[in-house]
Amino acid sequence: MQNQLETTEEEECVLRPMNCELNQLSRPDGSAMFMQGDTVVVAGVYGPIEAKLQKMMHDRATVETMFSPAKGPPCVDDRAKETVIRETCEAVLLTALHPGMAISINVQELQDSGGLLACAINAACLALIISSISMKFTVAAVSCMIDRESGKLIVDPDSTQIQQARVTFTYVFEGIKKDLVSCHTTGRFSENELMESLEKCRAASQNIFDFYRNIVEQYAIKL
Amino acid sequence: MASQYKTIHPVKYLRDYLAQDIRPDGREFLRFRSASVNVGAISQADSSAIFKIGSTTVVCGIKAELAAPKADTPNCGYLIPNVELSPLCSPKFRPGPPSDQAQVASKTIDDILINSSALDLTDLCVCIDKLVWVLYCDLICIDYDGSVTDACLGALVAALKSLTLPEVQHNPETGAIVVDTSDRKPFPLKSLPVSTTFAIFDEQLLLADPTDEEESLAKGKLCLVIDGPELCGLYKPGGIPISQELLSKSLEKSKKRADLIRKVIEAAVTN
Repeated sequence: MQNQLETTEEEECVLRPMNCELNQLSRPDGSAMFMQGDTVVVAGVYGPIEAKLQKMMHDRATVETMFSPAKGPPCVDDRAKETVIRETCEAVLLTALHPGMAISINVQELQDSGGLLACAINAACLALIISSISMKFTVAAVSCMIDRESGKLIVDPDSTQIQQARVTFTYVFEGIKKDLVSCHTTGRFSENELMESLEKCRAASQNIFDFYRNIVEQYAIKL
Repeated sequence: MASQYKTIHPVKYLRDYLAQDIRPDGREFLRFRSASVNVGAISQADSSAIFKIGSTTVVCGIKAELAAPKADTPNCGYLIPNVELSPLCSPKFRPGPPSDQAQVASKTIDDILINSSALDLTDLCVCIDKLVWVLYCDLICIDYDGSVTDACLGALVAALKSLTLPEVQHNPETGAIVVDTSDRKPFPLKSLPVSTTFAIFDEQLLLADPTDEEESLAKGKLCLVIDGPELCGLYKPGGIPISQELLSKSLEKSKKRADLIRKVIEAAVTN
């Protein structure tokens, strides 16, 4: 009986507990420290600021992203993460409002225990919200995996679960119609597995959007 | 007149075409460009391939060298793909250290190969903890006209498929290595992953196999990697959100394309 109770509880609460501190840093226009389970990331947004001459675009703002790992200099893996974060934020921002300017998004990893990319995107989105820069929509990133042995789909796995993963997916959804903004996968999977994981993550993304709403409301009262 | 118009209003130029249900190069929206592959053109390399999609051209050369394995994976060899986007291939690239784009391309190709488990790195082992093969896969783009990931993966897979490695005699006690270049064995490749790129425009319009011009004006990009009945990669780095139907549509299209590309590569390798 005890066991049964635990499993149902596990299924209901699909995402790891989230926690967030907004505007902890004084210099950025918006900053967020976002925790998903034990994965912790700090994101800071400056913008619109003056663009470097060589990166300046005459019709819209350039989006610069910097992803710094917890230790060591950024490597090729981090470049790939940076690209996903940048292109996702570019989709989110109304860059045409600030021609010739730059928006700089800086993400610092503090601790990784699974779902780092998803956590980084969520932190960046919260930082953008709190910096009150114009956005088309908000985004929520959800990671999930399929277990190697049981073939079970686990949403928002932690680092111990990920070691048993056959496939991992990271999806980013937009807040209006829940359409897919970004997607990153590792491992081999079938079409059905893709569709199933997409549906589950789409449902789970609602929790993140609700969390955004709550946290922003809390901070709005403080102001 | 058309060329001036294109230079002054590139976005409107493309939109005018798309409004007429056709693309600037005369293709329909979901039509791919023709692909061709040539294997073994570079005799100095252990294996090589040239892959063309329309005018996009990528040359792949594989050089095999012997080295000591990493301590934590004593029975695994190395595969090191390196994509080079030289200033020759497009005015977007400047001489100097590899651009972010080239680094991300190399990483994507590496990821796809690992994810597809097309090659078993233990096959590259000569003597456990002492000697393994390192495959340096240099992918050089000589004409950058869109869908470069597809061309890179095609070239790499074709080159790997035709790769032969010489027999090595290694004496663990003395450390003497004798390489018999006359006796070469084909390297086993377990599967043939094929990637297909799509560009996405406003109102969920999908263009298959975009050219560079379309890619740079597109609102989003989607890259699907198909390997047999399964997928081994779905990459969409941001851009305009896509609906479920669009994803299914692109999936179906890319499966057909993957079958075709696989046949092209297999035919080229067997000849």
